[in-house]
Amino acid sequence: MSHGRILVVDDDPQIRRVMRATLVSHGYEVIEARDGEAALAEIGREAPNLVLLDMNMPGLSGLETCRALRATSDVPVIILTVRESEKDKVAALDAGADDYVTKPFGIEELLARIRAALRRSAASPDAGPRAFSCPGLEIDFETRRVSAQGRDVRLTPKEFDLLRHLVAHAGRPVTHRELLQAVWGPDYGDEPEYLRVFVNQVRKKIEPNPARPQYVLTEPWVGYRFEPGK
Amino acid sequence: MTRTLRLAGSVLVVTAVIELYRLLPVNSTTVALSLLLAILFLSAQWGLAEAAVASVVGTVGLDYYFLPPVGTLIMEPQSWVALLAFLATAFTASKLSANARRRAAEADSRRVETERLYALVQAMMLTGGASKTLREFVHRVVREFGSTAAAFYYRATDEVVRSGPESAVATEHDLRVAAELDGVRVDYARGLALAPVRLGSRPLGSLAMVAPLPSAQTIQAVADLVALTIEKARALEEAGHAEAARQSEAFRSAMLDALAHDIKTPLTSIIAAVTSLLGSAPAGERELLSIIHESADRLNRMAAEVMAMARVEAGKLHLETQPVAVGDLLHAVLAELAPRLSGRPVSTRIADRLPAALADPELIRQALKQLVENAANYSPPGSAISLSAEAKNAKILVRVADRGPGIQENERILIFDKFFRGRQHRYETTGTGMGLAIAKGIVEAHGERIWVESERGQGAVFSFTLPAAPEVPQP
Repeated sequence: MSHGRILVVDDDPQIRRVMRATLVSHGYEVIEARDGEAALAEIGREAPNLVLLDMNMPGLSGLETCRALRATSDVPVIILTVRESEKDKVAALDAGADDYVTKPFGIEELLARIRAALRRSAASPDAGPRAFSCPGLEIDFETRRVSAQGRDVRLTPKEFDLLRHLVAHAGRPVTHRELLQAVWGPDYGDEPEYLRVFVNQVRKKIEPNPARPQYVLTEPWVGYRFEPGK
Repeated sequence: MTRTLRLAGSVLVVTAVIELYRLLPVNSTTVALSLLLAILFLSAQWGLAEAAVASVVGTVGLDYYFLPPVGTLIMEPQSWVALLAFLATAFTASKLSANARRRAAEADSRRVETERLYALVQAMMLTGGASKTLREFVHRVVREFGSTAAAFYYRATDEVVRSGPESAVATEHDLRVAAELDGVRVDYARGLALAPVRLGSRPLGSLAMVAPLPSAQTIQAVADLVALTIEKARALEEAGHAEAARQSEAFRSAMLDALAHDIKTPLTSIIAAVTSLLGSAPAGERELLSIIHESADRLNRMAAEVMAMARVEAGKLHLETQPVAVGDLLHAVLAELAPRLSGRPVSTRIADRLPAALADPELIRQALKQLVENAANYSPPGSAISLSAEAKNAKILVRVADRGPGIQENERILIFDKFFRGRQHRYETTGTGMGLAIAKGIVEAHGERIWVESERGQGAVFSFTLPAAPEVPQP
């Protein structure tokens, strides 16, 4: 049985070959597109469950393609980018991508990101879970109670909102801008230093070792990512 | 009208007045006043000499025909008074009118010179680069002002631009000296005017003009104009250079990006393929696949370092500074390098309430990575590496310490040079030899300093500073 249908968009045929071989062997169906225009056509025709989108393509760029497909589709998008500029990653997330992976990447890392993105899309995050639990951490969104390592912890309203937004997008990097606007409101977005203070507070309260966080991870210069404990 | 004719004319006018009154019944006072009027007219129209002759003729006529005893030339006191009055009138009126005439003539030549200056300004608006402009300028000066020749001495290049061989009257020595003068100096004997050319108080050179010369004020105005023209041409050239440099830098940057993409694309296929194989390979093949994976990784790092070094060497790293939490940065770098630091005790010490640094986070992370990789490369496996960050003198001081063999004193400065490797490590390490040079380039692009302290056998401590960001209030 197929784990899902993945559209691989890259102008390099070798990368498309590697992706096809690897993803098929891991039980995914693979569709290919060599540029942004073809990708948009395939999305309409084949309705993939996930899109792997190269950032740097001739013609319609990865970012433009991402923005264009977001106009009509909620399909999870993982951007593949050469590690050059963190700005590109932020731009990718702001363009509506769910995640990014830097080239060159190990295949295990990519597979993990694909699984996380497919899981999120199946869980439909917009419905909003009433509670969340993972090893070492329990959150009740209705009563706003949080317990970490079996002990109740008190979060301020802003700290709680911050944690809730990160948990709602677990496994996905959330940009500083998105987080600021979700917690502080639409007038914010350029003050990542606010976040640092609040994230440090949250870590002190929920992490077993705040210096080596396992739940709230820093995505350098991009934002933060919540990882459920294992 | 020649002077003789004018003298004859003035005698005629006076004679006519006298003959007129001889026919009419008037007294001598009327005749004297009429003569005074005629002399006033002559002096204003023609000048002192004509009026003086008329005065003498008038007095003689007055004495002879009208003053008693009529018909004799005795020169009574009355005649002397009349002569004195005539001469005084002649002198004063001719002086006044000569002044007025001179002013009118001056105004006229001033107007002509202004028109020529204006023509010169207009001509200079159109020209291009500085040296072309200067050559054009001296020719224009000659053409517009009708001077025989002109020369300009440009102090910045110690160069003399001449309109032609006639300008040799002004020697290079004259011109050099003139550049230090306070104002225009006209040497009438040689028919030469020299003027300093300065912008504000800054001497740019000097201007020489060979007779016929315009007024000193105009020469000064020409000198001021040449100063402005040079300055304008220089500013235009500089702007052109800056634009060219910016374009070439943009081009280089675009080339590097293209190169990065071109190298990383095949590496992406290799690494994706080999990691995919590694997941399911039998034990016998894993060793060989691991070698491919590690080598591709290394190639990737080397490509990144070559590109970073090229950017540092291009001279102007484009900094995008923002407040950076140095503690987060240290942890991010350690997380990124975790596989290469495995088996080592790594400690970090971040000062409490450490202010943010004002820096380009990506570049500083790269510099820090180079220092940590350097520490890992040059110290025994399993030995400790420690990182620290603290505030010191309004700066953030970052240190990376290892427990390696240390660096000999004579190698401590060389160590930041590209491709330099300590003697004992020359054949051991795997990097490109560019890491510390990249780190140094990045830190210095921030206007800060990087240095190393080391004791033989006690390890090495690499330190650099970053400017502290201004405090930001919390919401």
